[in-house]
Amino acid sequence: MSALRLVSSAARRAPKVFTSGRRGYAEAADKIKLSLVLPHQSIFTSTEVVQVNISAATGDMGILANHVPSIEPLRPGVVEVIEPGSASKKWFVSGGFATVHPNNSLTINAVEAAPLEDFSPEAIRANLQEALKVAAGSGSEEDKMEARIEADVYEALQHALGSK
Amino acid sequence: MSSVTWRNVFTYNKYTQIAARAVRQSLKESERVTAEKRGLTALRYQQWENGQGGQQVHLNPPQEK
Repeated sequence: MSALRLVSSAARRAPKVFTSGRRGYAEAADKIKLSLVLPHQSIFTSTEVVQVNISAATGDMGILANHVPSIEPLRPGVVEVIEPGSASKKWFVSGGFATVHPNNSLTINAVEAAPLEDFSPEAIRANLQEALKVAAGSGSEEDKMEARIEADVYEALQHALGSK
Repeated sequence: MSSVTWRNVFTYNKYTQIAARAVRQSLKESERVTAEKRGLTALRYQQWENGQGGQQVHLNPPQEK
């Protein structure tokens, strides 16, 4: 009787050895530790996530576990975070830096970031028109450059909200 | 970043602050009030001489209040 129980318990234990090698989509084996921090708030602090999509100055990139260490300046754009077992979440960041460290962790420093739901399309449209007017106007070079930077941010925001 | 020429005019700090201000101004009404406060910077300085502090001077004098 006890021999039968031993055999059945061994049979139950054996399959676990095989399942650890299999990668399902529900729980990916490799995660990267993300810290998404602003001066006034830490959105993520060393949280294990599956993938982070950022809009770097050199192009859009997706960062998975064990990414090669790199430092990327960010354009004003969307940062998308895919956590294990849940849908992706998006934030619009005003710019900053994304640093992948050698120890499988990613730090994103930004000055301002907010979830896409916190933005108002009407405000963006009005701000964009204002900024384009100043950029095309006859102010000083600095004012026009300032307006062009703002217009770029508003256009990126419109693109982010439009193609949600 | 179509306006990559900002480097001739601004420092990186100024550029980042401009972009952050643009993001703050695009938030919904409910979020905008707390966000605008974050954009405010005030500076006060004081000249010290022989262990005596001089007049405290505001860099940008507050207009009201």
